[in-house]
Amino acid sequence: MNLDALDRRVSAAKRETLARGETFYPGASRIHLAAFPPKERWDDWVDVGPKGDERRTMLVPTTCFNCESACGLLAYVDRETLQVRKFEGNPEHPGSRGRNCAKGPATLNQLTDPDRILAPLRRAGRRGEGAWEQVSWDEALDDIASRIRAAISEERRNEVMYHVGRPGEDGFTERVLAAWGVDGHNSHTNICSAGGRSGYAFWMGLDRPSPDHANADVILLISAHLESGHYFNPHAQRVMDAKQRGAKLVVLDTRLSNTATHADHWLSPYPGSEPSILLAIANELIRSGRYDREFVRRWWNWREYLEHEHPDAEPTFEEFERVLRDLYASYTFEHAERESGVAAETLREVAELVASAGTRLATHNWRSAAAGNLGGWQVARCLFLLNALLGAIATEGGTFPNAWNKFVPKPIHTPPHPESWNELTWPAEYPLAMFELSFLLPHFLREGRGRLEVYFTRVYNPVWTNPDGFAWIEALTDESLVGLHVALTPTWNETAFFADYVLPMGLGSERHDLHSYEQYDGQWLGFRQPVLRTARERLGETVRDTREVNPGEVWEENEFWMELSWRIDPDGSLGIRRFFESRERPGERLTVDEYYRYLFESSVPGLPERAAAEGLSPLEFMRRYGSFEIARGIGPVFAQPVPPEELEDVHENERGRVYTRAAKPDSLNIVPQPSPDPDEEGRRPVGVVVDGEILRGFPTPSGLLEFYSTTLADWGWPELAIPAAPRSHVHPDELEDGQTALISTFRLPVQIHTRSANAKWLDEIAHTNPLWIHPSHAERIGVSTGDLVRVETEIGHFVVKAWVTEGIRPGVVACSHHMGRWKLGEAGQRQAMATVALDHEDDRWTMRRKRGVEPFESSDPDTLRIWWSDVGVHQNLTFPVQPDPISGQHCWHQAVRVRKAEPGDAYGTIVVDTARARAAYERWLGLARPAETHSPDGTRRPYWLLRPLKPARDAYRLARKSAG
Amino acid sequence: MELFRALGALAEPPSEELGPIAQALGLGGRPTSAEHAELFQLNLYPYASVHLGDEGMLGGEARDRVAGFWRALGLTPPPEPDHLTSLLGLYATVVESGAPGEVRRALLWEHLLPWLPAWLEKAKEIAPPFYRDWAELLEAALVAEAEKLPADELIPLQLRQSSPLADPRREGLEPFVTSLLASARSGMVLVRADLARAGRELGLGLRLGERRFVLRALLGQDAPGTLRWLAREATLSSARHRRLAPAFRPVGQIWADRADRAAALLEELAETAATESSLPEAEPDSEPSPAVC
Repeated sequence: MNLDALDRRVSAAKRETLARGETFYPGASRIHLAAFPPKERWDDWVDVGPKGDERRTMLVPTTCFNCESACGLLAYVDRETLQVRKFEGNPEHPGSRGRNCAKGPATLNQLTDPDRILAPLRRAGRRGEGAWEQVSWDEALDDIASRIRAAISEERRNEVMYHVGRPGEDGFTERVLAAWGVDGHNSHTNICSAGGRSGYAFWMGLDRPSPDHANADVILLISAHLESGHYFNPHAQRVMDAKQRGAKLVVLDTRLSNTATHADHWLSPYPGSEPSILLAIANELIRSGRYDREFVRRWWNWREYLEHEHPDAEPTFEEFERVLRDLYASYTFEHAERESGVAAETLREVAELVASAGTRLATHNWRSAAAGNLGGWQVARCLFLLNALLGAIATEGGTFPNAWNKFVPKPIHTPPHPESWNELTWPAEYPLAMFELSFLLPHFLREGRGRLEVYFTRVYNPVWTNPDGFAWIEALTDESLVGLHVALTPTWNETAFFADYVLPMGLGSERHDLHSYEQYDGQWLGFRQPVLRTARERLGETVRDTREVNPGEVWEENEFWMELSWRIDPDGSLGIRRFFESRERPGERLTVDEYYRYLFESSVPGLPERAAAEGLSPLEFMRRYGSFEIARGIGPVFAQPVPPEELEDVHENERGRVYTRAAKPDSLNIVPQPSPDPDEEGRRPVGVVVDGEILRGFPTPSGLLEFYSTTLADWGWPELAIPAAPRSHVHPDELEDGQTALISTFRLPVQIHTRSANAKWLDEIAHTNPLWIHPSHAERIGVSTGDLVRVETEIGHFVVKAWVTEGIRPGVVACSHHMGRWKLGEAGQRQAMATVALDHEDDRWTMRRKRGVEPFESSDPDTLRIWWSDVGVHQNLTFPVQPDPISGQHCWHQAVRVRKAEPGDAYGTIVVDTARARAAYERWLGLARPAETHSPDGTRRPYWLLRPLKPARDAYRLARKSAG
Repeated sequence: MELFRALGALAEPPSEELGPIAQALGLGGRPTSAEHAELFQLNLYPYASVHLGDEGMLGGEARDRVAGFWRALGLTPPPEPDHLTSLLGLYATVVESGAPGEVRRALLWEHLLPWLPAWLEKAKEIAPPFYRDWAELLEAALVAEAEKLPADELIPLQLRQSSPLADPRREGLEPFVTSLLASARSGMVLVRADLARAGRELGLGLRLGERRFVLRALLGQDAPGTLRWLAREATLSSARHRRLAPAFRPVGQIWADRADRAAALLEELAETAATESSLPEAEPDSEPSPAVC
C-alpha cells in the first residue's frame, strides 16, 4: 500500500468533484453525538436511559403542535409499555432537519400533564359557573350535530362558526366548513399577522414571505426570529448557517430580544417608526442608483402608477425613476433619526450593508411592528420595497412569495365554495381586511349584527388572547348571543371555562394533520400522526379509531369532524355526507387511513416512487418517516414563460396583462392563490408580457409587483397606495402628556400563547411577565425592579411588577402578552394559572388574584416541587380593540400611563370599564372606509384578494339595503 | 494530506456522499448506518476526551486541552474539537498550511497518538470489515507520520496528566469503576462489546446499560470472577500495546505499563475479594450518567 499514491488519488477525486460544482466532503453539520439513530433501526432502537439502563424503543415520527413551524419530532415509544418516553427531532424532516426548540421535547409534559382533560365534559350549571359533568362522545356529537343540521336546514348558516387559533394543519377543517356550505371560518389572524400579510399581499398577491436565509448575504429581520415566531426554528437554524458563512444580521426591535443580541446591527426604533427607517434605506438605494434598474423596469407596475398618479408625465421608465427619486427624497436618514431615535450614522451603515447584498437580501416581518401600529401593514410593504428595489425576490438568498415554497396536496373530496357571506366575520366596514375581523365579534354580536347557534373555539382562547377579554366574557355568557359554545382543546383555557361542551382533542403525538410551510426554497410535506396508533400497527394490531390509543377518551379532530359531519347529514339529504364518504367502501364513512392513503398515493408527486424504492406504500412511508420533500430549488416562478398549451385565444390588455381561454391546468398542489379578475370576455389571466415575452408574472391584477396598488387606490385609500410611512397611533404626537407607548407583542421564547401552560419544563423556565422599563424612566417615577406599578390604558388598568432594564428604549415600556393565565376555581392548569376572583357591576369589571401557583399533589411528583408562585398578569384584558382600517389587524401597541402602584393596588389586579371599551371600538370603527361608500364595483371586497373559505363570486355582491 | 481528511470523514455516519471518498481510498463495500452506530456510537467512541480524560467521558479537561490547541493555532474550535474527524481534518490543515514541523509534531504526539494506537487496536478487533480496513489504513498512515516525525523525549501531556487507576480499598467502588473505563488510566480500552463478552464468559446476567452500569452489575454478581477477567484483559492489552508498531513505541510503552499495573491491582483485588466480603459497597448513584460512554 502506497500512502502517497492514495493521498494523490483522494486529492484528485476531490479536485474533480469540486470542478463539477459538487461537494466532496459532506460537511460536519450532522456529526457525531448529534447524529440520530440510523433510520433502519427505528423499529427497535436501544436507547440508554438516565440511570444507564437500556430501553428498547420504537421511533415514530410526528409533527410538533406547539407552534406553527411544524417541526419534525421523533417519539421514542417504549416497546414494552407502549408509552412515549421522550421526543427528539426528526432528522428526516426537511424544514427542521432534526433540530427543535424547547417546546418540541416538552410535548412529553403535555401528554402526562395531571390537569389535562381526558373526557368530554358538559356544563352542569350556568355558563361560566365552573360545574361540569362527563358525557359520552355520542351524546355530545348528537346534540351538536342536530343544532347544526337545524341551522343549515333553516338557512341560518351564518350561525355556525368555527374559530381557530393556529390551525396546525393545511385546510382540512376549512373543507369541512365548505362541505357544510357555511361561511363559518373565523381565525385569529387579525390579532396576529394580518398587518404583515397585507403589506406583502398588496405587493405580490401572495401574503407571506419565504426568505432564503441560508444563502443570504444580509438578513434584515423585523422580528425576533432567532427565538420565536412563524417558522422561527427552521428559519433560525438557517440564519445561523448564514452567519457562520459570514452573512450580516440586522434586527429592528425596540426591545433587546435574544435575536437582537445576535445581530451585527441592532436598531431600537421608537415603535411605529420602522417604515421611516426602511424608506430612508430605500431612498439611499434610489438616490445613489444602487438598485436593480432592469428588475424594477421589468417587474414593477410603474406604467400603471404613472398613468394614475402622473397622467401628464411621459410614460417612460426614466421618467418613473425621476418621479421615484422625488417621492422618497424627503425620507432622509436625519428624518428617520428624528422619527425613530436611531442615529442617522447607524442607519447609513445599515443602508450600505443592504445595498451590498444585491439579490442576496433576505427580509422578514410577520407580527412585531406590523401587528403593533395603526398602518403597521406598511412596515411589511416598506420592507419588501427593499427586496423589490434590489431584485432580491425569488433569488438564491432573497425572499420568495410563500406559495411557491408550499405544497397542499389535493384531497379525496373538494367541496365547493360556500354561497353565503358572513357579516360577523367579514363586515362591510373592512373590505380590504386580510382576514376575519375576529376580535370584533363580541361587539358585532352585541350590536345585533347576528347571533351564533353553534360556536366552536378550537385550540383557541379569545378571552385570554384577544384584546378586550371582558367583552368576550359578556358575549359568551349571554345565551341569546351564543346558543352553544363548544371548546375543542387538549387542555383548560380561559375561554373553555365559558363553554357548554369541552371536548378533549389530542396533542402533537395524538392526532393526524398535514403541513407544508415555506421555510426555504423548496416544498415539503409534514405528517402529524398519533404515534401510539402507528406503533401498535407496526406491532401487528389494527386500530380503527384514534380514541383506542389516546389517553382517556381524548380524540383527534380529523375523525371528530368526519363523524360530526356524518351525523349532521346521516341520510345524505343535505348534500354534506358525500364529502365524508369512503370511495373504497361506498356508503360508509371515510376513515383517516383512506383519507391519507388517497392523498399520498394520488396527490404527492414523487412520493409513491420514493416509497416503492423502500418497499413501502406511500402511507407506510409517511408513517415511517413523517415527511417528504417534493421539490427543492423552485426559483423565480414569475419569470417562467407561459407554456404554449396555456395560450388559447389570447388577449393582451393595454398594460401587457395576458388572458387566455385555455382552462387552468389541473394541479395536485391546491395551495391558495389570489385570483385576479378575468378580462371582459371571461378569459382568465395567465401571464404578463415583459420585453415581448409572455411570462407567468405575479398573481396580482397587473401581473407585476404592485408598487402602486390600484386596489388600495380604487377602494378609498389612494394616499396609501404606494409604500409609505403612515403615522402610528402611538406616535409621540398622538400621545397625551404623561403617556408612553407599551409594546405587548413579544413572546417568552419557550412559551407559546395558551398552548404551553401544560408543560412543566417550560413553566419552570418562564412563568412571569414583568414590565420592562428603562432606568431613566424608572427613576423618574421612582420605581425599582420588583416594585408594583399601575399601567393605565384607555379602558382600565393592571398592576404588574417593574423590571428595570436597559434592554428597552427610554420612554417605551414593554410587557410580554405570554403570561397572566388565570382560573376561576379548581379546574384549570394548576402549574401556570393563578386563581382569581372576577366581579362586575354594570360595566365595571374587576379581577383580583386570590392566590398564585402552589405545589400540589398529583400523579406527577414534580408538581410538589413547584417553586414559583408568580405567573404574571393578564394585560390584554385592559386593551381596547384597535382595528386597522385597511388590514383589519388589531394594532396592539397601547398608549399608557405608568405610575407607582397606589395603596391598595395588589399584584395582578385588573380593572376595566367595558363602556369605555365600547367607545374605543366605535372610535376605531369610525376610521374605516366601508364598502358601501367606497366599493368601486358594488362588491364587498376585491375578489382577487386571498380569503379563507372564499365564497362563490355572487356572494361578493353588496346586499342592497332596503329603504325604511 | 487529503488522506487524513478523507479518513476522518469516513468516521462520520455513512451517506451517499461518502461513497466516492471510500472509493478513492480503495475501501470496498459500503458500511450501513447500523454498523456505524454500533461501532462509533455504542462502542468505540471516537473522541480523545473519552480515552484520555480521567472520567472516561466526553469533554472535561482532556477536551479543553484539544480546544486549546485549536486556539493556539488561531482557529475557532468546532463544537467537538476532539472528535476523530475534527482532529484528522485539523492535522491535514496543519500540514497543508506549511506550519512549522513542531506544530505538526505537537498535534501528532499530543492529541492523536496518545490514544489512537490503542483505539485502533480495539477497532480492528471489533469492527465490521469496512471499518476494519479503514482502521488499518489509518494506522498505517499514522505510523508513516510517526516515522517521519519521531517523538521527543517528553511523555505527552495528555498522558502525563491522567491519574493512575483508583484503588477501591482506599477510594471506593465508583472511582475504581470510573478509572477502569478511562482508557488511559487502566491501559485498556473497554467497550460495551467487551463487557458483554465478560458476561458471556463468566456466565453472568448481562444488565444492559452504559458501560459503568454494566460493569457495576457484573462486579455485583461475581466480584472475584469479574476482577480476574479484567486482570486478564489488562494483561492481554499490555501484550498488544507492546506489539504496536515501533514508531508508536513511546506511547505503547506507557499504555503497556499502565495495563500491567492495572493487571497487578486487579489480581490482588480478585484474591482479596475471593476471601473477603468482596468489594466496598458502591455509593448510591445520585448523579445521572450521560447517555453515552
